[in-house]
Amino acid sequence: MSSAPPPDAGSSVPAVEMHGISKRFSDVVAVDGVDLQIGDGEFFALLGPSGCGKTTTLRMIAGLDIPSEGRLAIFGEEVASWPPDRRPVNTVFQAYALFPHMTVAQNIAFGLQMRGIRGPDADRQVAEATALVQLEGMEHRRPSQLSGGQQQRVALARALVNHPKVLLLDEPLGALDLKLRQEMQVELKALQREVGITFVFVTHDQEEALAMSDRVGVMSEGRLLQVGTPAEVYEHPASRFVADFIGRTNLLEGTTESPSAVRLDVGAVVTAANELDAGSPAALSVRPEQVRLHRRGEAPEGDPCLDGVITDATYLGHAFVYTVAVGRTVGAGGTSSGDRAATITARSETGSAALAAGEPVSVSWSPAATTVVAD
Amino acid sequence: MSSLGTAGTKRSARHLLKANAWFVFAFLYVPIVVLVVFSFNGSERVNVWQGLSARWYGEALGNTQVISALRVSLIVAVSSTIVSTVLGTAVALALDRYRFKGRRALDGTVYLPIVIPDITMAVMLLVFFAEAFKLIHTFGPRLTLGVTTVALSHIAFNISFVAVVVRARLDQFDRTLEEAARDLYATPWRTFRRVTLPLIAPGIAAGALLALTLSLDDVVISAFTAGPGATTLPVYVFSTIRQGVTPELNAISTLMLAASITLVVASLALQRPRSTTP
Repeated sequence: MSSAPPPDAGSSVPAVEMHGISKRFSDVVAVDGVDLQIGDGEFFALLGPSGCGKTTTLRMIAGLDIPSEGRLAIFGEEVASWPPDRRPVNTVFQAYALFPHMTVAQNIAFGLQMRGIRGPDADRQVAEATALVQLEGMEHRRPSQLSGGQQQRVALARALVNHPKVLLLDEPLGALDLKLRQEMQVELKALQREVGITFVFVTHDQEEALAMSDRVGVMSEGRLLQVGTPAEVYEHPASRFVADFIGRTNLLEGTTESPSAVRLDVGAVVTAANELDAGSPAALSVRPEQVRLHRRGEAPEGDPCLDGVITDATYLGHAFVYTVAVGRTVGAGGTSSGDRAATITARSETGSAALAAGEPVSVSWSPAATTVVAD
Repeated sequence: MSSLGTAGTKRSARHLLKANAWFVFAFLYVPIVVLVVFSFNGSERVNVWQGLSARWYGEALGNTQVISALRVSLIVAVSSTIVSTVLGTAVALALDRYRFKGRRALDGTVYLPIVIPDITMAVMLLVFFAEAFKLIHTFGPRLTLGVTTVALSHIAFNISFVAVVVRARLDQFDRTLEEAARDLYATPWRTFRRVTLPLIAPGIAAGALLALTLSLDDVVISAFTAGPGATTLPVYVFSTIRQGVTPELNAISTLMLAASITLVVASLALQRPRSTTP
């Protein structure tokens, strides 16, 4: 258990399998036809803005919401209509939901008690779980006497002590401050490797999702838009929403000319790494760190290139972030002839020479680093 | 000049408010102090002071009528408190959790007994019992007013008070805790027993104490719905006072005051939000 198991390790039966899962609350569709397979031992993140249906999806796995339609299986067993107390999963709730009238030890022992495990056996398991999350010595405190980070550990121990087949985490780091959150990200990831349990993690923080998970599922308005490894969704977003939501990107509007070539509104026809149907409105996604800046006219031949003017330069310590106006606003020296204006954000390491606002520049990028996305 | 004038106005306003506060305070508490002081008066006559004595407390507790009335009061108070606490808590839970037909109507009317004047409630209940007894009599049994009807009447108004207090507690209750319990393999019933009930218990206890106090203090409704032999202590005091105030009544009233204050303070203490340290 020393290294992360690959997504398809362990049994060939997926930990969680969803087919056409939908959830309606009166006339609001919260989750709309989600198909998803999560492998045994996988750390899977459900990512999306608030209200996208990710928490409802998680609650359906937990049994706290019952799907309006669709099939849901946990390790091959159809559980869609099972009550939560019969499902082999446990949840770490967003605000932890620790029982305020019980001590830390009583909180952790609750699930064991409900399954009829008592006495020395239960004591030993509670002690193990307490040690796993490094809460020794806190056993007799009440949740209200603990810090946010400690409460989070109790919530984890209370769930993990039951050895669930799948651990569900609903924005578990959302209530922590930034520094603690980053520490807990590392710790959670290590913990998952140690226990080898499938983790399904809900978050709206794309950095968190990319940093922690084996695979990410991006949701918006109840739909699952794309599932892939962090690198796949970051480097090859399947839609405009994903490109925009995962990390920062420049979206240059245009129309596809051939499956892999886009005529940009700011002028220039460029190729991308992927293909779309020709003749439809689309946008080219170029990540800021993929944009190369050159003094005007010094751009290398071959790669797509646009002329522009720096309108803003921000020093971030480890990098510069430049805003470059391209397209119609470019002055007489420019070669761009598009009828629209756009801005491109570029990022460069501080080692390179600093450029100032007002400087005429050329921006270029490698076609392999770009993706053309439809609406 | 104008600033001086403002300061002067402010000062006199402050003095006036202070005086008013003292006046209100005196208005509320002087009669109570007089009652308590005169309950320790050794004299036969209420308005003649004859030295400190606990004599009337002894007389009151030796009076069989007082003891019998106290017995009725306690039976009515304890039984009506138990029943109304169970029913009132159930009503509060139902209104808090479930969306059922007629919920809004029930929500609006469950508190009605709190605002209906006591006298209206008393007449209402008396008429109700009379009609109900008439109907039951056509089937045979002949029922009369008594301790049971007093207790039923007290249940009728106490349900509302318990429901209000428990509902307030439920409003602060985090339903995610129940979901957490369900997620940790607890059945709905065990979730209620192990999580919901312990956490709303202070509200239920506060409601019960309030019900106990209201039952022990009630005169009007008890007087109307009690038959002969079902005289509660407040009703006894009220009927005796027509023959004039006696030092014995002062003693009884003081004892009832002490009991009421104890119960109300306990009820308020229980309704306070949980402190963060145990």
